[in-house]
Amino acid sequence: MIIDHPLLGPRDAAEFVYLGDAALIDRPDWQAADAMEQFHSYGYLRDNPAGQHQELWYHEQGDRSWLVVTRNTLTHEITAVELARDVARKRGRGK
Amino acid sequence: MADFTLIAEPPLKGVDHNFGDTRLYAPDDLAIVSIALPLGAEDATLQAVKSGFGADLPAPGQSVMGNDDTRLVRLGPDQAFAIFTRATPDAEPHVQSLLKGAAYTTDQTDVWTGLMLDGPLARTALERICPIDLHPDAFAEGAAARTVMEHLGVLIIRTGPDAFLLLSASSSAGSFLHAVETSLVNVT
Repeated sequence: MIIDHPLLGPRDAAEFVYLGDAALIDRPDWQAADAMEQFHSYGYLRDNPAGQHQELWYHEQGDRSWLVVTRNTLTHEITAVELARDVARKRGRGK
Repeated sequence: MADFTLIAEPPLKGVDHNFGDTRLYAPDDLAIVSIALPLGAEDATLQAVKSGFGADLPAPGQSVMGNDDTRLVRLGPDQAFAIFTRATPDAEPHVQSLLKGAAYTTDQTDVWTGLMLDGPLARTALERICPIDLHPDAFAEGAAARTVMEHLGVLIIRTGPDAFLLLSASSSAGSFLHAVETSLVNVT
């Protein structure tokens, strides 16, 4: 499998480490009234779609960047690769 | 009490082998300093690099030559390496004095080991162990990539039409040399 890194171009999947669902970017507010509930689902509950899936990959044997890869879990087709930093900022993260 | 003097010595010091017209050697007095661009002050750092080294920091995956034969390698959006030749163990203060505090700098000299591969067999030998496309159209002179060869992390930089600088961890320098040498023997 080839992951087309947005900055570095196509790289072999062997250079990357898979973490999991990109929903991990959306860390709940620890001061919310239902923080306990939110952290439970953040920590343990995952969708397991057969199809499009956004997931976090780490370019460990490369530039050490975190990526959000949109991959079809049925065909392994990768339709989008973005820097996790850019995705987090788009979702309103400050840094 | 005995008076000891410690002499810093790179792990592959003195390595110099020829395979036909292709030479594999450890460059002398290689110095490496990492430059981290502070969050929110990237533009000031880029400006400082330009005035300190006389060259713009290139895009990630590229390198340029600055003043005093210093090679500036951009590894990612906020990280770069300055690679140069320096015999004295003051590489980091030297780079910091050029940048005047505009970036975080860390001495990387002793954690990396360098090998130069120069000659007509270089690409043939590397294509057996390097997953990066090294064709000049895809990896032109000055191009740089961090990748993995024989399970060892490597920073590869094309320094000439047939010349590559390979940097890997000094802790596994012997294994890395073995990997490159074996590949060269197999294509010689």
